[in-house]
Amino acid sequence: MKLEIDIAVERSAFALRVAARIDQRACGIFGPSGAGKSTLLGVLAGLVRPTRGRVVLDGVVLDDVALGIHCPVHRRQLGVVFQQGHLLPHLTVSANLQFGYRLLHADARRIGLDEVVQLLEIGELLERSPRTLSGGQRQRVALGRALLCSPRLLLLDEPLAALDHALQQQIIPYLCRVRRQIDIPILHVSHDLGELLQVCDDLLLLDRGAVVGHGTLVEVANQAATIPLLRMGGMVNILRGEVLRHDPSARITEVALLSGAIIVCALRQEGPGTRIDLLVRPDDIALSVGRVSGISLQNQLPGRIAALADAGDRILVTIDMGLPMLAEISSRSADQLGIAVGAPIHVLFKAVAVSGRS
Amino acid sequence: MLEAAEREILLLSLQVAGCALCLMLVPGIAAGWLLARRRFPGKAVVDAIVHLPLVLPPVVTGWLLLVLLGHRSALGAWLHDVLGWDIAFNWKGAVAAAAVMGFPLLVRAVRLAIEVIDQDVERAAATCGAAPWRVFATVTLPLAAPGILAGAVLGFARCLGEFGATITIAGNIPGQSRTLPVAIWQYAQMPDGDAMVWRLVCLSIGVSVIALAISEWMSRRIRARLGQG
Repeated sequence: MKLEIDIAVERSAFALRVAARIDQRACGIFGPSGAGKSTLLGVLAGLVRPTRGRVVLDGVVLDDVALGIHCPVHRRQLGVVFQQGHLLPHLTVSANLQFGYRLLHADARRIGLDEVVQLLEIGELLERSPRTLSGGQRQRVALGRALLCSPRLLLLDEPLAALDHALQQQIIPYLCRVRRQIDIPILHVSHDLGELLQVCDDLLLLDRGAVVGHGTLVEVANQAATIPLLRMGGMVNILRGEVLRHDPSARITEVALLSGAIIVCALRQEGPGTRIDLLVRPDDIALSVGRVSGISLQNQLPGRIAALADAGDRILVTIDMGLPMLAEISSRSADQLGIAVGAPIHVLFKAVAVSGRS
Repeated sequence: MLEAAEREILLLSLQVAGCALCLMLVPGIAAGWLLARRRFPGKAVVDAIVHLPLVLPPVVTGWLLLVLLGHRSALGAWLHDVLGWDIAFNWKGAVAAAAVMGFPLLVRAVRLAIEVIDQDVERAAATCGAAPWRVFATVTLPLAAPGILAGAVLGFARCLGEFGATITIAGNIPGQSRTLPVAIWQYAQMPDGDAMVWRLVCLSIGVSVIALAISEWMSRRIRARLGQG
């Protein structure tokens, strides 16, 4: 996918100005509420007309104000999942799923109903009315409906914001599955950084109507200006790995990361060999210059300091351990440790500070 | 059970009201949608014109229709010359009067029914690739159906009861414009018309109750289909 955006939306009380090129498989658009995330998605979907500028997706001009081009919503071939789902209340789940699918030429259909039903596990719901669905079921059906439109780009507009935290954690694996198994690029808008980091490769940071950062978490985290924003959104390290073995007596599970390092976390349900994502918050991490003995912390991993970013009273440290990891420590600790870019360091955290999901 | 005169009055009333409803249904839905969903210059004027028959004395509306559609007007002459239709002082005049008087009630009901539909649902349908006309036909119209039905029943009832405008444009001609209310008024003027008035009043009440019952039954079926149980 290649998406070129260079647009401005000007209203009396609000202005959005975005220029970006997005070519990642899955890009997360992050920012606090009021940053203009949903307006940007509205422009891409064709629901909001930009005041100036152009939008080009894979060489197709969707909007060009100067040339007077505006491709109407129904001709954009995008899939959109809204915060409230917006299922058609007078149709069954099955008819909702097939609403866009039926409008496509047979040879334009790239995904079948059975595939989507299986992927999202919504087979039980097909004959039900949307009014009888729970929030999580509703969002899965809305995701399925968008996928069945065989979109060139999938737009997710705060798809989990209307759900409680436990439900969000249940839906995220479905988003990850879609990302892994279906060849459709994703733009995912959220004010929850943890959610985005689990689904997306890249982040586009918006604040008060302007782009303030674009890149991987580690890349955007090394700009001092973006750290408060990231911290507010719930910054988290995502470590991809595979379950190695369980020790039920010690109530721990060992996970091998892609870099080869082994991490200990609280006992998991997943069997050995299962792929798993581990989540560690940067402020749950301690740093030490050498290995420490006689300490309760289960995880001690060697690495090298790749970057330092000053966020006032706190320092955000990027550590290269074969994969990048962010740690947040106080300026005082940083002074005492005398850390500098390039220096070797050990990353320490408790087994219970690691959460995860398969 | 019904005498020939009564049967003629009843059938004429149903014919006039039925034709009037058919005549106003499509423009009524279009106007209701336009007022609910579109912003355009002169919207307030359109709104006022649609609602005018509701506030004008019916006799005034009837007289204005007579001026507009009578032989001496350009429109009346055109209808006479091209289609061979004479509107004034026959049953077509009664249909025109009933349609104009019932129209605002239908439009109001349609407008309300469309205004309460979540526009985000219509937008979601558009993102799935549905063109505006398809969104209207497959989302807006079905969701507004109970309200449209209610408006149609209200409009039909108003047509059945139309008196002032009807008698002004179409007069009181048996078999042409002597509908139920006109006939009741006429018999009420006669010294020995009481029995007939009573029979026609009962007929009138009967028709209204049946119309109400049919609409209730249809409304339940539509709601059941929409999953609103």
